[in-house]
Amino acid sequence: MSGLPKRILKETERLMADSPPGISAAPKDDNLRHFDVTVAGPESSPYEGGVFKLELFLPEEYPMNPPKVRFLTKIYHPNIDKLGRICLDILKDKWSPALQIRTVLLSIQALLGAPNPDDPLANDVAQNWKENQSAAIAQAREWTRQYAQ
Amino acid sequence: MDMSNHPLLSSMDEPPPFPPSHPHLRRLDRSVVCQICKEPFQAPVSIGCGHSFCSSCIRSSLDVMKKCPSCNEPALEGQIRRNRALEEITDSWEESRPIIYELAQPPPTKKRRASIQESNSKPSSSSGTKRLKPNSSREGSGSRSQSPIKSRRSDDGDHNSLNGNGEMEDEEDDEVQELTENDEAPCPICQATLPISSIPLHIEKGCPPPKTKTNGNGVGGRKGNQKADWKKVFSGQGLGGKSKDKEVEMKRITKPNYSLATPADLRSILSEYSLPTTGDKPTLIARVQEWIILFNSNLDTSHRSSLSALRAKLSDSENSKKRDKEKGKDEMVNQLGSKDGLQKYAKEKKGEFERLRKEIIERDRKRREQEEGKGRGRDNAIEVE
Repeated sequence: MSGLPKRILKETERLMADSPPGISAAPKDDNLRHFDVTVAGPESSPYEGGVFKLELFLPEEYPMNPPKVRFLTKIYHPNIDKLGRICLDILKDKWSPALQIRTVLLSIQALLGAPNPDDPLANDVAQNWKENQSAAIAQAREWTRQYAQ
Repeated sequence: MDMSNHPLLSSMDEPPPFPPSHPHLRRLDRSVVCQICKEPFQAPVSIGCGHSFCSSCIRSSLDVMKKCPSCNEPALEGQIRRNRALEEITDSWEESRPIIYELAQPPPTKKRRASIQESNSKPSSSSGTKRLKPNSSREGSGSRSQSPIKSRRSDDGDHNSLNGNGEMEDEEDDEVQELTENDEAPCPICQATLPISSIPLHIEKGCPPPKTKTNGNGVGGRKGNQKADWKKVFSGQGLGGKSKDKEVEMKRITKPNYSLATPADLRSILSEYSLPTTGDKPTLIARVQEWIILFNSNLDTSHRSSLSALRAKLSDSENSKKRDKEKGKDEMVNQLGSKDGLQKYAKEKKGEFERLRKEIIERDRKRREQEEGKGRGRDNAIEVE
């Protein structure tokens, strides 16, 4: 029992008691460091109406090291690759132990609302996004309908 | 999804937050919380940018990245300064919090009292608390070692003198007075019977079984020699340990350069503080790092722990880390070791095995169909892998 830091217990309890709008997160029964997460696509984004599944893992060094987060639902987004990996500064070099699961998930939701094709992870998507934005958005909308509903 | 009954979560002991009708109290409550561990400051220190954290939190953080967790400004361990004022504020807030919490509660439903409190509780949120606060914090700082029971009594006393009423409270008061620190009572969370004075600590630790004192030696420790080593450390603390403690200089430890330090260097640091010197280099580095954080941050507070308490903490954290890593694997191995375990495992996972079996059969069938249809064996071979 002493293996799990109090901070993680506290965060978990608060997340489940009062999760931010459009976001849910619950730890798995057998591993309290491993969370099932869903994030609703933000309004007036191509992901609106979709519900995206993610997995979040708190490494041993958390909160000194960032959580590991990955999309499980297929998504057409310049900063998310086909393995679901996310290009987000706070998950890498901009991580700070003052951040928490809640802030990470809110940032991911915000990333859906504001794709950044200048810092791409999925190169083909980013290129399409830059060259033909309306086609890319249509594609994102189509994938949302197909995979996230 | 309902995890409220989860055994790990039910061990939580959170003081209830202030009601939203008191935003200033909520803010005050938050302002004594470390942004890293999200707990009230312990041994608070400040760094160059002016942000404050628990000493051990910021030390651990700076080991990983040289910047302030709050504002991202570059920060170095050399900038760490003890923040005595913040420690005093945190301590006195922690002591007066239950008093103020009670004063901030909406009036009770009882009619007669409700009317009396109504008139009292409104000013209590502004002038009332202000009047009480200096009073109670003076009391608090004079009685740091008081048990929570006692301070609750003084709290009730204040309450009475403010309200000038309260049969019910008087009754409560009597009940409380009958108990002393040495009496035993059931823990409100796990129901284990413990001396009253030790209950807060017990809850703080997440309700370990009452035999906590032997825990330091008994927990985990899979590698025989390391376990034995820790045992030696603890058994020495009775006689030789104390005299050794005096020899240890209570001065901040300078960090070694871990990439250049030899295992012998690390061992000499560890033996200086009577710590186990077993393990490979990464184990030694981890132990030295953790010890330096514990030891140095212990110098940043006026509530210092003894060296043996620090050693116990180090041993606990080492064991729990090891347990975390080996947990899944070991449980599985233990279970599968015996024949019964194997059968039990097979029984438990029957559904899963069955599903896998069906999937494989299905896959093979499809593949055969495909092969017959297209005859492209190569792709399929890759798929198998």
